This record gives sequence, C-alpha cells and structure tokens, in this order.
Amino acid sequence: MKFYFREKIVEAKQGDTIAAALYRNGQRIFSRSFKYHRPRGLLCVSGKCPNCLMNVDGVPNVRVCITPVCDGMKVSPQNAFPSLELDFLSITQRLDWLMPVGWYYKTFTHRMMWHVAEPTIRKVAGLGKVLSSENREYEHIWMHADTTVVGGGWAGLQAALDACGKGDQVVLVDDQSVLGGQARYRKSAGEVPADLIRRVESHPNVHILRDSSCFGLYEDYLLGILQRNPHPGALERLVHLRTGKVVVATGAYETPLLFPNNDLPGVMLSTGVLRLLHLYGVSPGKRAVIVGSSRAAEELSVELSGTTIEVVAALVPEQVVSAIGHGCVRGIRTLSSVIACDLIVVCGPRVPDVGLSAQAGGNLAWSEVHGAFLPSSLPPQVSVVGEANGEGVTGVGAHLPLSKRAFVCFCSDVSSQDLCDATAEGFDHIETLKRYTTATMGPCQGRMCQLSAIGVCAHETGRSTAETGVTTSRPPNPGVTLGALAGPRHHPIRRTPMHYSHEKLGAVWMDMSDWRRPRFYKTLPTSEEKECVLAEYHAVREGVGIIDVSTLGKLDLRGADCGKLLDKVYTHRFSDLRSGRVRYALMCDEGGIILDDGTIARLNDDRYFVTTTTGNLEFVHQWLEWYLVGTAWDVHIANVTAGYAAINVAGPNSRAVLGKLTDCDLASSAFPYMTCREAEVARIRVIMLRIGFVGETGWEIHCPAESAESLWNGLLQAGADYKIRPFGVEAQRLLRLEKRHVIVSVDTDALTNPYEADMSWAVKIDKPDFVGKAYLANAGADTSRERLIGFVLTGSGLPADGAAVVVDGKLAGRVTSSRYSPSQEKAVGLAWIKPAQAKEGACIDVRVDGKLVPAKVTMQPFYDPQGTRLRL
Amino acid sequence: MSFLVPCPNCGRRSVYEFRFGGEVRQVPSLEATQAEWQNYRFNRTNAAGIQTEWWFHYFGCRQWLQAVRNTVSNEVLHAYLPGEKH
Repeated sequence: MKFYFREKIVEAKQGDTIAAALYRNGQRIFSRSFKYHRPRGLLCVSGKCPNCLMNVDGVPNVRVCITPVCDGMKVSPQNAFPSLELDFLSITQRLDWLMPVGWYYKTFTHRMMWHVAEPTIRKVAGLGKVLSSENREYEHIWMHADTTVVGGGWAGLQAALDACGKGDQVVLVDDQSVLGGQARYRKSAGEVPADLIRRVESHPNVHILRDSSCFGLYEDYLLGILQRNPHPGALERLVHLRTGKVVVATGAYETPLLFPNNDLPGVMLSTGVLRLLHLYGVSPGKRAVIVGSSRAAEELSVELSGTTIEVVAALVPEQVVSAIGHGCVRGIRTLSSVIACDLIVVCGPRVPDVGLSAQAGGNLAWSEVHGAFLPSSLPPQVSVVGEANGEGVTGVGAHLPLSKRAFVCFCSDVSSQDLCDATAEGFDHIETLKRYTTATMGPCQGRMCQLSAIGVCAHETGRSTAETGVTTSRPPNPGVTLGALAGPRHHPIRRTPMHYSHEKLGAVWMDMSDWRRPRFYKTLPTSEEKECVLAEYHAVREGVGIIDVSTLGKLDLRGADCGKLLDKVYTHRFSDLRSGRVRYALMCDEGGIILDDGTIARLNDDRYFVTTTTGNLEFVHQWLEWYLVGTAWDVHIANVTAGYAAINVAGPNSRAVLGKLTDCDLASSAFPYMTCREAEVARIRVIMLRIGFVGETGWEIHCPAESAESLWNGLLQAGADYKIRPFGVEAQRLLRLEKRHVIVSVDTDALTNPYEADMSWAVKIDKPDFVGKAYLANAGADTSRERLIGFVLTGSGLPADGAAVVVDGKLAGRVTSSRYSPSQEKAVGLAWIKPAQAKEGACIDVRVDGKLVPAKVTMQPFYDPQGTRLRL
Repeated sequence: MSFLVPCPNCGRRSVYEFRFGGEVRQVPSLEATQAEWQNYRFNRTNAAGIQTEWWFHYFGCRQWLQAVRNTVSNEVLHAYLPGEKH
C-alpha cells in the first residue's frame, strides 16, 4: 500500500496505521506543539495523547497513530511552517518568559487589544485548519442493547460473555480494530485466550462495534459512540445506543513522567513502545533507557528481551535530570552522568479510565492502595470492571520533578512551573487551576496530564491528593467531530401529486416550508421570470388560470361539537355557519396575536373542512387538539393534507372551463361566492370551495391525491380553447396583493393583532369566549401602535420588501410586500405605519434604491375594491 | 437531552418523539385582570425540581399528555392522559 505524506509517496504494510508506516520510514517528529511549536513525536501510540494530530484527506486533527492506512490517502502535518523539522515559529519557545501563565488575562486587558492581536494569535497557535469545502459523509444510526460493554480487553470480553449467559443482547464497544486490549502487546498482562475472543465474536447475542469510541453516557442510559470508517462510503458514524446496563471496562492508560525535555521525540511511553513493536513490527529505537520504578523497569526489560532494542540503563525517576537532544533524543542526563541513547522509555503511572462512569453521575475517590482515583459510587445500572476499577493497578500517584521545566500538559504547553505560578497567584483549587492554565482542556481531555496536574497542585498547596480532588468529567470525551454530530446531509422534500406535470410545463421551483412549489412556469427556455409572471397574471385577470395549492394544510373535522371548538379557537363564529357555506378564519393566541388564517367550509351539520397556511398545519393541528383536551366534546380531527390535493381555477373563464367537466350548476345563483359543494369534476369526487384569494371568479377544488394529476391535466385540456395557463406562486402573490389580501407571517409578525391589520371584520368580539378575547376586548379600541395600510407609489421604482417608510424625514414604518401592479400601472404594496398617517390619501415616502419616492396611502384594495369580480 | 417519556399509550419513548408544551398552568378566566393575563402569558415558574408539563406525542399516538418531570435530573416520574390524573 502507498500513501502520500507531504506529497511524497510512503510505503505501508498491511495492518499499518499511518503513524506506524511513517515511523518505519524514519519520520520522528509528528507535530509541533500548540504554543511553543516544540517538536513532538509519538508518545502513547493509542490515540490518547495529542502528539500525532495530522490532516488526513482534508480532515484536520486526525490521530494518525490509530488511523489505518488506506491506499492513496493524503496526509499532511499541521501547525508547522515551513516543515515539521524546521518550524520558524519555534522561536516562540525562546519567548516563553513573555508569555507567563494566564498570559491572555494579563496582556489583553482592553477589548481593542484583543481585536488587534487575535488574527495573529489564531495563525500562530492552534490546531489544524477546517476546510469547509470538504465533501465528507457522516451517518447516524440508532441501536438498542440490554447490556453494553465498553472496552474489548480481558475484562470487557469476560463481562460480555457473562451478560450473554444471562440471556442479554450485548453490544461490545472497542476503540481498537482488534479485540484483546493490552494483552495484544503485553506479555505480563496475561494472554487472552484466542478461544475467549472467538467465543465473543461468534456469539449470536453479541454485536461488536470496532474502532468506536464511547464519548458520553447520557440520561436514561443513552450512549454516544463515534465509529470511525464504518464503511468506505462514510467517514464516521454516530451511534445512538440505548442500553439497559453499562459495563465500563475501559482499562487503564499510562501517563508521562515529569522531567525537563520530557516531550522530546524519542521519549515514549512504555505501552507506546510495545505497541509499535508488537502490533506493527516497528522498532522504536536501538539504544533505550528505561525510566520508571524498579519493578516497572524490570517488567519492561522482560517484555523487551529478544527484540532489537538494547536496554542500556534503567533509571528511577528521581535520578533523571533531563532528556538531551534537539528535535530528537540523543541521551539522558542523570545526577551522576550522561547516557547516550535514542529512545527513552517511560514507565509512567497507570491511570484507570473512569471518565465514563464519572460523567454518568458516579463519584470518584482517591485510593492510596491503587494510587488512583476510582469510582466510589455509581448510577444504578453502571458497573466498572477490570483495570478501570483499579484491578491490578498499583502506584503512588504523580511523580514530582526536581526541575519545574517539565511539560505537564502536552496539548497546550503547560509546564509544572506554570502550574506552580498559577497556584501562587491564588488559583489553588483544581477546578480554577484547570480553567486558568487550560491544563487538561486540550485534545487529550486530561488523559495525559490530569494526574500530574493534581499532584503539582497538591504539592504546592500542601494538601493531600484526596483533598485536592479531581476535575468534573463531562461528555464528550474523547471529542467528536461536528460533522458526525450534524449527521448525513439529508433534506427531505415534499412534492405535490402534480409535481411532475409542473416539471413538464417548465416550472421554476421555490421552497415553501417542506414543500417545493412552482414559482412560475418558464414557457420557453429563453423567457424571463418577469414576462412569464406577467403572462400568468393576465391569464387569470382576463382569461383563466390554474394553480396547484395542494400544500395548504387540510383538516377534516367531524362530530357534533366541531362548531364549539372552532368558535373557541378562531376569532370568527362557525357554529352558526350554514351547511354549504365557507367563511374566512383567523386564529389568534391568548394575547390576540395573529397565528394563522385559512378558510373553513361546513360540508354538513357534523363536518367542517378547515384549511391552514402551508407552514402552520402541524401547529394548528396540535393547537386544536390541545383545546379539545378535557372538554369531552364530540370532535374528531383528521389531518388530510397528504390525502387531498387542491387546485385553484380562477379567472373570468373559469366557469366555462369547469362547466365542461362537471354537472354541478356553477351559476352564481346556484353556487355563489363563499359557498361549497361536494361534486364530481372530470368524474372525480371533489370538494369545491368558491373562494377568491386572487380576486376573480374561481373555485378551489380539493380532490383525492391519487386523482390530482388526472384532474390537473383534464382542466388544462378543457381550458385549451380558453388559453388556460398554469400560474405559480409569484403571480399568485401579485394577484392577491392587488386585492390587499394579507399573508400571515409575511405581512404580519409576532406582535400583530387583527385590529392593527385592519381585519376587525374577522373578529366577533361579542362571542362569549374565544382564545385571545381577553386581550382583544381591550386592544380593540387601541390601535395606537401601528396600522397595516396599502400604498400606491406615485413616483417610479419598486420598493424592496422591508423598505423603510418615511414621513417628514423620520422613519415611520416598513414595507412588507410590494409588487408592480399591472392594473394600477404603478408599484403598490402593504406597509406598517404609525396610525396618524393611516388615512385614505395620506402622503408618505418610501425608500427605493436609497432615494425617497412619494406614495399615497389607501385603505381599499387596489383592484376591484367592491369585490364584484369574484362574485360574478 | 436524551431521557425517555413513558407515554400512557405507547410506552417509554425517546423525548425526541415529543413536542414540549410547557408547564401545566391554569388559564385565567375572561374576567381576570390584565396583570393576571400578562403573568400567564409572559412569566414561567422555571422550577428546579418537580414540575407537571404538557407533552405532545408528535411521532407516536399524537395525543397531548401530562408528565411529572424533575427538571434537574430529567427523570420523568409518570405521565398520563389529562383527566386520568394520578
């Protein structure tokens, strides 16, 4: 296999991680540190430390020590210029005296200073760069389990089999690609019998998630799990796993020792050395010095016997003065001598990984016996087993250095000196110390540094480790990419049943809540929106047009008490609506604010057909249901929005066209304005409402969705002689604006009441009770705030929606809708203005393209003010 | 937020299936003063502890429920259809 590192080809072996392949090919520096740009090499080789973060195929901050090589992948270092080996910004380590602990707080005492310095600091310090253009796929899946075991080592495997024995469905989560935990590379850990792994892998009740990090345990036992490379089509997968019980078997991890230059490439944790050796067959060095307790050193010598590594010395931490070398280890200085070597193997304190149980609400307590913080109490269904529970872990806690120039926090370059200074400055509680120094807050989330930080804090304050305590664990840990949280790019679209007919007719689409609607129809590929909309407009005003209004919310209400419910939630009265009649419906909240509008048709004594605006259907449905709770009224509400399609046929010739397709008497004497009938059109059972949003003779026809396309095409055929034309939302908006019909939430906002919107006719304030009455009864007289008015521009130009209204040089309101009106041959629109100017004929100015253009106020519809045309 | 709501119709379901409808409170009468209405519209108890709430089972039985929840721990003690109380 081959991949690219800084545009050079690197050979890799089967099973290699990126880090293993690079190390085998001689790469020693893997990153530059956050603040001082110090060279950093492999440390833990298990995805726990921050030392190997690189950019892989455009994704920043990838831990290359656990990322398998894929053929052809492109890997590049980050935070280093011009290269990892020579980084100009490493000059900052000579300037460390300029940047004491709490540098930000001490230096940027004025806001302006920070604004000036921030761009530079962002460039100099930090991690990788996010490329927003990257095309990555992420997935979400939901899973359930009786028992979830986190950790695939000896203890986890055993726990999984135990749970299976009780008949549980088990999910086993492991952050490595091969089960077995540390037994895979450590003889002393005791061999996990191949048989145990095989039994777990082949057990029908066990589902194994490999390469998966469990980053959080949330309420009611929901585990957040990030699975890397679940399949070639996805980079990461977020698993939402709801589980009955959780067994935490996350083991223990090794942490660094503190001595000057303890971050030099070539200073490696003993587990890292063993992983390189035994998992990838890479020799980390030739001459090694072991630093650690004599027992740990002895154990490690056994592990290293028979390998290519020659152990030249074993030192206890107290003997070490510093590591020597530039860019990589050349030797180690002890109290008595200098020993040349190319590898310093650190046997650091082992820390039980208890983060998951702690963030789930369990408490931690210091155990002198184990030299570690261990769970002292746990949530009911959580248990901790194996090394995570301290089994086999012995230690004395943090090792404190002779010199204070040792790095505690590798993520953000915090030294033991910094921690001592911060403590001296008064940040002597472990939580404030963390926030002030940012130790434990970097990519490793304290895994490498927490124990040392606690040790330094305890030492400086003269308290015991138990008294010093531990910082709060919070999810997510390890960190989760935002892409994984955001999930797949998935935007569902609702299409009306006539969608593909519109497409054939040249529809240009617009989005309206979840729906896609034709904005206008492009009759010729060369035609422009303006001329198409105008042609559609004239078709409706002078001939006949049809529009798909299937996106309207439709509710079918049945039962003896529907009238009572509608009287309660709408401002108009509906209990007295006669069968076969239609009424405009306006809905307000308790404060009299307009929520929604529509029409309500009474089909018979016990059945009402309610329409809502496109985006508000779900809300209105829930609102009606809420007002039904506890009433014992006989009302059944069915949402029939998807079941019915709707077509509005409008224009002077609409009667003639419809007449061809139905036996229903369409004459105004038999089927007047604001009435409804159930009838047959083109042999399809439909509900016909004679209403006129666009201001012409017209019918809104609701038909079963499956017949909609046939009805639509039937109407187009029947209307061919009359030059029938489909029209889109843009023409509809122009037509309704000429009639001054309001669109809720376009012309109204979250403060609009019906009186202000000039719709007092829709409010029956004498009704005994309705939602909003308490407010409207008082507000009815008070229209001192603003009024919705119509205006006709006397000058030329077209105001944008939202343009300012100016009176006597002062801002006096805003335009909500404005269009060029073909019937007025001028721009017209709706605007909110102060009540003083809300009079017929008043003069206002409207800002158009930065200039003030005079306009006249009107309280009448611009077109057909008497409404005679829609009654024809 | 990941807790489960024990819907009386559908059983324990993820909170993501529900729409929160606010604290259960008495709607003022028509005769109530302006101040009482304002209090109803704009003020909330915001209890840290046990609170009775409206929940609508949006992706389920599509019924309004009342649930008794500890707002600190997000533990839902019980849920019932309004009227079938306690």
